[in-house]
Amino acid sequence: MAEPLVRLTDLKKSYGNFEAVKGIDLEIAAGEFIAIMGPSGCGKTTTLRMLAGLEAPSGGEIFIGGERMNDVPAHERDTPMVWQSLALFPFLSVRENVEFGLKMRGLPKRERRERVAVWLERLGLEGFEKRRVDALSGGQRQRVALARSLVTEPKMLFLDEPLSALDAHLVIRMQGVLSKLQKDLGITFVYVTHSQSEAFAMADRVVIMGHGEIVQTGRPKDIFRAPRNRFVAEFVGRNNIFAGTVAGGVINVDGTQLPLPGAADGPAEIVVAADRMTVSLERPNTAALEAEFVSEEFVGTAIICYFEGPGGEELKAQVTERELELLAPEPGKHFFLSWEPDAPHVMAVTS
Amino acid sequence: MLYLAIVFAFVFAPIITSMIFSFNSDRFPTVPLGEFTTHWYETAFSRPEVWEAMQNSLIVALTAATLSTALGFATAYTDYRYNFRFKSAYIALALLPPTIPLVIMGLAMLAWLARLGISGTLTGIIIAHTVMAAPFAMAICRLRLSQMDPALEAAAWNLGASQWRAMRSVVVPFCLPAIVSAFCLTAAVSFDEFVVAWFVSGLNKTVPVVILEILQGNVDPQINAIGTFVFLTSMTLVVVAQLLITRRRKA
Amino acid sequence: MRIDGYRYTWRLPLIVWQALFFIGPLMLMVAMSFWLVRNYRMTPDFVFDNWDRMMSRSFFWDAYEVTLVRACVAAVLATLIAFPASYALAFKVSDTVRRWAIFLLVVPFFTSYLVRIYAWQVLLAESGPINAVLGFGGIGPFSMLNSGFGTMVGYMTLVLPLVIILQTTSLAGIDRNLIEAAWNLGASPVRTLFRVIIPAAKVGLIIGAVFAFILSFGDFVSPFYLGGSKPPTLSILIIDTTKSGQQWPLAAVVAIMMIVTLFVVAVAAVGAAYGRRRS
Repeated sequence: MAEPLVRLTDLKKSYGNFEAVKGIDLEIAAGEFIAIMGPSGCGKTTTLRMLAGLEAPSGGEIFIGGERMNDVPAHERDTPMVWQSLALFPFLSVRENVEFGLKMRGLPKRERRERVAVWLERLGLEGFEKRRVDALSGGQRQRVALARSLVTEPKMLFLDEPLSALDAHLVIRMQGVLSKLQKDLGITFVYVTHSQSEAFAMADRVVIMGHGEIVQTGRPKDIFRAPRNRFVAEFVGRNNIFAGTVAGGVINVDGTQLPLPGAADGPAEIVVAADRMTVSLERPNTAALEAEFVSEEFVGTAIICYFEGPGGEELKAQVTERELELLAPEPGKHFFLSWEPDAPHVMAVTS
Repeated sequence: MLYLAIVFAFVFAPIITSMIFSFNSDRFPTVPLGEFTTHWYETAFSRPEVWEAMQNSLIVALTAATLSTALGFATAYTDYRYNFRFKSAYIALALLPPTIPLVIMGLAMLAWLARLGISGTLTGIIIAHTVMAAPFAMAICRLRLSQMDPALEAAAWNLGASQWRAMRSVVVPFCLPAIVSAFCLTAAVSFDEFVVAWFVSGLNKTVPVVILEILQGNVDPQINAIGTFVFLTSMTLVVVAQLLITRRRKA
Repeated sequence: MRIDGYRYTWRLPLIVWQALFFIGPLMLMVAMSFWLVRNYRMTPDFVFDNWDRMMSRSFFWDAYEVTLVRACVAAVLATLIAFPASYALAFKVSDTVRRWAIFLLVVPFFTSYLVRIYAWQVLLAESGPINAVLGFGGIGPFSMLNSGFGTMVGYMTLVLPLVIILQTTSLAGIDRNLIEAAWNLGASPVRTLFRVIIPAAKVGLIIGAVFAFILSFGDFVSPFYLGGSKPPTLSILIIDTTKSGQQWPLAAVVAIMMIVTLFVVAVAAVGAAYGRRRS
């Protein structure tokens, strides 16, 4: 296999006694849209900052394009970044902001102007050259930040939670802009976020981090269907997690026997996605959990119903509007939850 | 509200009366006021030592303001950007001078500068005023820096600016309003300071030292004339600085 | 990591400058207090003559007492006079009025303190405008100069603007919901003031008082020109001993005593401001 664009080996960062990043290995291919995802404090932003040269690693190595980057200062790396706060220069106009990187590289004025014009047009910002950045809307500022980072035509772009300050409807639109931009340019995007929906909507590959370590890497769909352990399953959300003991292809969850064909005997944790759950008023023929209805939530066109299971755990099931009407749930009403035998995914038990 | 008016009246009474008295013909003014006159201005400004003092004050104020603004900015930036051992001691060292009573500063400075052989020179006054004014410059710059997104400087590096380049093209432009006001404020502090200047000045007097000496000799409404003039100069400086900042913001 | 010259370019100037022109002078002053003075000449030495001479004089202790008492009175007075004004500025007026008021309070910093004191000297004189006005009403004349009253007027001129600014800023920073919650829970306005507002603004109030103390403690202009320098304060003592006859080491002793006092007061005040509240 060809040398990957980015290679991290046993990368570490500690602040005093606190280990923010505990030795991670990761390869990023050219042209890939990769999302690094995890709860706050998991080390994802620190990892990105080390890639950009804004933090010095405490150990391990960073290779970009086959070259060791550990000691290359930030301004000599070609790793532009889009910041969570955008970090647009408030005392400069839109053009001057976008031009900044070209100016630092010593490009003559005429060429700078041309390239700025191209990028402003590309991002739908023509006519805004002389505006001050604080006179722009959130979405426009976002695009100025993108233009500023992309105008130098880098091989990759780092994005640090760039959409977290936007309104919900703008987030969806910017996701589209980003996806399209990445495909058109064919460059690598490294996207750091705590939002599962952003990561899954855009990324080719998702890296889940927790407590300074990489927990799971894979395509969004694989991570969603087959989370490696409880941490990932909980973080990804809309999952039902059951802990129990397997004996002879059957798992005992709080006294309810549920079939789990092919599973090894012993303690196990399984996960069933909310959209694989079936909710019934009567006890079905297959094994089912009896649960008490709590509330429902509308997510787009789907509806998620929340239940309290026999062990007090929260259970989620996705239903259609029609099903909801038939079930007529009310808080406190009892239902039966079941799933197809192939629905559960057995996870590694975290001690 | 009435109370507020009384307190403000107390604060402004001496300022306003000194302006009024500066145009009043009585040597020992009382009510009713005497006639309108510019006599005190004429006598004050016909004295060569007043002009010399003006010149000295200007040199001292501009130099001390430049030095203390530079020092204050460097310290504020260090505090903003870096963490290091003994940082709280460093900050205390930076902010301590205004808590030392002026007479003590005057005495200590006089003794020290005499040892260095520069007491009685303008250089001595400039040094003393820089020590005293730098904390104010630091406070103003620090306040501005605390409004600066830390990502801003990092963004400049990220876009290819070296640390020095980022300082020049991002940090300084961002702090420019604060730097200008720090300069004006420290200039005004120096322009108005008389205790330490009096201790160390020798024959090179600044305007407030001349006022002090008039006050020690024959009390004379010339003081009002000079004081009003100095006040208007300082206020003009401050207002001009303010206008510069506002215009910049709009541009 | 490379050696970072950049970092030290910003960090070192202050250290070098303050060592040379702030710590140096103060250290020399401390050292000087142990020097020997003979025939009006100072010789570096380590003797306690100057300390003995100062500490054994009753006029030093009288001056110390006067200075300390007056500075305390000034701090209390300034806090009490400023508080209603700051309260009004923080809660009773619009933001625009408050901004203008603060701007106006900054103006005095740009006028010569000396000129202001001279103006008071004229205003308060036996035949001055205030007595003249009072005279029309058949009262007075009062002799207000060369007294503790005159000194206090001077101190207030010096410290009031600053104290009001500090108090207003800290009062305006109190969360309004806190005050409304107190009312909502049935606290009377007076109770709210003492139980909610004053505790919440405690740090600002104490800092204001400390600044009033420090400034009054060290000022020599008011006690000299409005107080008639009788009895002398410590700062007048320093000036007398410095300006007349090269008695720098004696002045240094007084200066050190002042710094020690200020330090103790400042530490006590910080303790009071940030210390745990006693129930």
